[in-house]
Amino acid sequence: MRRTGKAFLIVAPLAAGAAVAATRRRRGAGSASRGHHVVTVYRQLSELEGAALPGSLKEIADGAEVTMRAAPGDRGTEIAVRIPDGSRVTDAEVRRALRDTRSLLEAGDVLLPSGPPSTVPTALNRPLQTATRHGREGGLS
Amino acid sequence: MKALQWQGVNKLAVGTVPDPELRNPGDVIVKVTHTVTCGSDLHLLGGYIPFMEKGDVLGHEFLGEVIEVGPDVRRHRTGDRVVVSSFISCGKCWYCDQKLYSLCDNGNTNPAITETMWGHAPSGCFGYSHAMGGNAGSHAEYIRVPFADVGAFTVPEAVSSERALFASDSASTGWMGADLGGVQPGDVVAVWGAGAVGQMAARAAVLLGADRVIVIDRLDERLQQVERHIGAETLNYERTDVAGELRDRSGGRGPDVCIEAVGMEAHSTGIQFGYDQLKQQLRLQTDRPIAVRDAIHACRKGGSVFVLGVYAGFVDKFPLGALMNKGLTVRGAQMHGQRYIPMLLDRMATGELTTEHLATHMLPLDRAPEGYRMFKEKKDGCVRAVFIP
Repeated sequence: MRRTGKAFLIVAPLAAGAAVAATRRRRGAGSASRGHHVVTVYRQLSELEGAALPGSLKEIADGAEVTMRAAPGDRGTEIAVRIPDGSRVTDAEVRRALRDTRSLLEAGDVLLPSGPPSTVPTALNRPLQTATRHGREGGLS
Repeated sequence: MKALQWQGVNKLAVGTVPDPELRNPGDVIVKVTHTVTCGSDLHLLGGYIPFMEKGDVLGHEFLGEVIEVGPDVRRHRTGDRVVVSSFISCGKCWYCDQKLYSLCDNGNTNPAITETMWGHAPSGCFGYSHAMGGNAGSHAEYIRVPFADVGAFTVPEAVSSERALFASDSASTGWMGADLGGVQPGDVVAVWGAGAVGQMAARAAVLLGADRVIVIDRLDERLQQVERHIGAETLNYERTDVAGELRDRSGGRGPDVCIEAVGMEAHSTGIQFGYDQLKQQLRLQTDRPIAVRDAIHACRKGGSVFVLGVYAGFVDKFPLGALMNKGLTVRGAQMHGQRYIPMLLDRMATGELTTEHLATHMLPLDRAPEGYRMFKEKKDGCVRAVFIP
């Protein structure tokens, strides 16, 4: 079998699984609906209340509602962002902002990818390169 | 610099790539002196984990010398000889605080891929696909190590590089299987797979006080290593009824703890292997779970099964009925190296844990494609090929 065909057959079941997961999420079943995202940051609420929002979360705060509450079991603080109707803030921007915020508050830094890259673009890896360019903006958070 | 690059399915080549750079203030640059093949690399090589790009640098188990240090690094300085955990962890998030380092929230720069596939993203790993962060691997002259204060460990003078190398992943992974699998003094422990990880899991079970430790494989040279260097019993599944033998050796109860150290490309005898291989090749399942099935079936009632082998997606004929009705605890993880490496280095220093026999082949990096070919085809008794850049 040619490599292209083999690669497709390898990707297909994983992609199908991801599609099932995404569909399940869109149907709700208790998960976050579009326009609402939340992460838990391992810092006490008392440390964050009154402090300035870090980095990219501050940048989107004018177009989104940010709320914080203590997570149960000493797990830190739940930071939730809701995008109001009519806001220009996107889900991707919120996901990135929340992930960056968690990294900044916990690790003091946002990990950057390896560099300079050693890869070369091919027809096969173009979808993966697109996915990784948006690697902090997609997903379920 | 020189590096071993993934060029496509079953295609490797040594090429020239840009030198790594400090990207975050907690990074160090390490000059790699020893870097070793891992069975899980074969899943990347064979295309079973389809998140590789042409030109990616492989390798995640390594040791070397710190040559450049970021401004926030406190525990390391240039000249340190360090062994590095294959998973990249911040050391500050809730998961790291629970010592579940491979679940770190801040160590994977591409969390969307695995979050979509698996619901949540594990941390990043060196040289292990863009799903695990796309970090450049260690089969190279130099490597960038993020969060170096958390993941890089200075090797004591008393421990040789050839021994300490395996603390990076194999010994940590194996120890985790025995530890989190709950091995207790007096237990009977069965380990599927006599590769480096399986051998280290077996040695951990011995050191944790297990009464009997039995390692299962089909390759006699590996089973001989187990008997000679690990101090455990062996079973060759091509010549033995493993389930019956395990019952016999555990007084009919079955092993208390079963550790699976095989992964998604498991072999077996009989119709089960043909069935799983056909389904995998038709991509009706991504992984061959033969050893996991066997472990669940063999385990005693109320026992524990730990999955150390790497799996990517979905499997067929998973024995959920046995799991439920026998009251088993099944657990798995990528390895939490930062939790174990200091203790392992101490044990290596005292001679309790030796690993040199695993390095059956030492080759210059230029011959890495040949090393992987030998390793994949289990030629010349190859257990692990170590590359010297």
